[in-house]
Amino acid sequence: MTAHRTDLITGGAIAVIGAVYYIATFSIQETANIVTPRTFPAIVGIGLIVLGLFLAGQAVVRHRKDTLAEAAPGSAGSAPATAHAVGDGDGAAASAGESSVEIADRSSGQEGVGGIVLEAPPEPQVRKVVFQFALFFVYLAILIPVGFLLSTAAFLMGLTSIYAPEKWIRNLIFSVVFSVVVYAAFVFGLAVYLPVGILG
Amino acid sequence: MDTLIDLGGGFASALEPVSLAFALLGVLLGTVVGVLPGIGPISAIAILIPVSFGMEPVHGLILLCGIYYGSMYGGSITATLIKTPGEVASAVTAIEGYEMARRGRGKAALATAAIGSFLAGTLAIIGLTFLSPVLVKLANVFGATEYFLLMATALLLASTMSAGSRAKALISIFIGLAVGLIGLDFQTGLPRQTFGMDLLSDGIDFTIFAMALFAIPEAIRNLALGRGAKDEIQSFGNDKWMTKEDWQRSAGPWARGSVVGFIIGILPGVGPSLASFMSYIMEKRISKRKDEFGHGAIEGVAGPEAANNAGVGGAMIPLFSLGIPGSATTALLLFVFTMYGLQPGPLIFRDETGLIWTIIASMYIGNIALIILNLPLVGVFVKLLKMPKEILFSSILVLVVIGAYAIEFSLFGLMMLGIFGVIGYLMEKGGIPLAPAILALVLVPLLEDNFRRMLQISGGSFAPLVTRPVSLSIIILMVLGIIGPIIFRWWVSRRKLLADVTVS
Repeated sequence: MTAHRTDLITGGAIAVIGAVYYIATFSIQETANIVTPRTFPAIVGIGLIVLGLFLAGQAVVRHRKDTLAEAAPGSAGSAPATAHAVGDGDGAAASAGESSVEIADRSSGQEGVGGIVLEAPPEPQVRKVVFQFALFFVYLAILIPVGFLLSTAAFLMGLTSIYAPEKWIRNLIFSVVFSVVVYAAFVFGLAVYLPVGILG
Repeated sequence: MDTLIDLGGGFASALEPVSLAFALLGVLLGTVVGVLPGIGPISAIAILIPVSFGMEPVHGLILLCGIYYGSMYGGSITATLIKTPGEVASAVTAIEGYEMARRGRGKAALATAAIGSFLAGTLAIIGLTFLSPVLVKLANVFGATEYFLLMATALLLASTMSAGSRAKALISIFIGLAVGLIGLDFQTGLPRQTFGMDLLSDGIDFTIFAMALFAIPEAIRNLALGRGAKDEIQSFGNDKWMTKEDWQRSAGPWARGSVVGFIIGILPGVGPSLASFMSYIMEKRISKRKDEFGHGAIEGVAGPEAANNAGVGGAMIPLFSLGIPGSATTALLLFVFTMYGLQPGPLIFRDETGLIWTIIASMYIGNIALIILNLPLVGVFVKLLKMPKEILFSSILVLVVIGAYAIEFSLFGLMMLGIFGVIGYLMEKGGIPLAPAILALVLVPLLEDNFRRMLQISGGSFAPLVTRPVSLSIIILMVLGIIGPIIFRWWVSRRKLLADVTVS
């Protein structure tokens, strides 16, 4: 199932990050203390590698188990670790067994918490997520040079217009009013000075 | 007796108009933010921390504590009416409460949640009032060894007792530790893990990390989703409030939920979410109406809601008296204390007696305010649920950006916010819980510092871990904390206690 693949990728990524983190500890200057400045970062790096590999390994093992269980129908649920709760839709819902208090999102569209099956939130398209993040980074980059008022109004207008283009009048009013009110509240009310940019 | 005198003094200053206003504002703001779908207590506090920058410490803390329990209650409104839990603690309310609302019992569900929260919250604060001084006395014999162990226990319990995969919770903790170690080593002043970037030598700011992890992924995800099916908001205008039967059925769960929630709340590293699950499982187990669970059993709202609010009060005990946060939310509060130059723990009770008791007294007041404000105003809060998503989430993004700017006043701070937002999104995508990372980030400097001091005092020997009576007892607690949940999981799975609860 896809959840196994997600775990495999996540585990692999964590192990790689751990390795990079561990390698970075070599550039920490050594000292004569009992616990050197390197000790903790090194432990953390190794911990990440071990946990990442464990997660990836677990995913592989579980994937094999599931494939075996599917090959022999009826034998599923023989061991406590595979006692699946039957959900609606396509197959066994998440949870039960060793993972009964785990958030296991093995079946499509559902998520078990404490064996309590909740609907998993819908997943947006990757393309759109990347686009939203890109917009956000543009906003972060222009905030200081352009100034809070202009960049925020533009950012809000952009986001709301992508979401609901036909309500452009409302979007415009919201973008301008929100930027001005927040600016005034922070600068005059809380004495937090926001960048003025080109308006200054 | 001393405690009562101190508490009386606390009330005297908490009842001053300004303090009172901040307590009311806190619970009100907390409820409002908590009601907004997709925003739980952690995001609520993280977003509002910048607001408290310019305030007097006592007012800022009163405000943020109010926001904490206000948002817990606000979350239960959202869970009941649109089945969107703002955080894990209200996940069970999203099942039973929503089912009740669908059956025209929404008002009863909201009422039992509110009254249960009030009773349990108040009991927990009474517990906090009388247990903290005891713990403070005990803490006087604590040395570096004990503090190190307590913090290690907190991190360990946060992974074994969280509501998800243990491996993933541990990964989250290690990510938090990894981020927390970036910057200058405070003992030797040497740069660590900065990858050659001078800007990283100040470390990663905690508020930026918390806001990035909790607010950004949720906002981006919702904005990227676009307009899908609209959330169905359950109406409840003509429902009846609680009937006599409802009261009778709620009383037991309130009492049991309070006790369970309080005890779990005190445990380091275990947040209120586990408390609400435990209470739910317990209520289901002892109920004579097992078949009603999953279809709107009032016990399934009364117990867990009481438990999570009792958990809030319980979690304040180790925070106030030992300076050790038990959950991501209390970790945020600890950060706020240190931001004001205050260090919770035995010393704060000695040196800042007035301040700490004012905050405790304000919690009693906040709890009362919560119930007075919220039941009559619930119709107003519900209107917030209708706020268009694009407006809500784009505003949140702007607020976190202001927060990050107000902390660092630099492009670097803003970029950190964006980068950790991406990391948070990827973590969620990979199923890694976010809260343990926050806890770990706050604890890592203390953990390392105490570990070093322990070994310096003992000359490099680990013997003090088991030779000191207090540290030995903590180790025993730690072992129980690891074995306990395993037995609990085994018991739950053996009985298939929850396997049949499904929401379609």
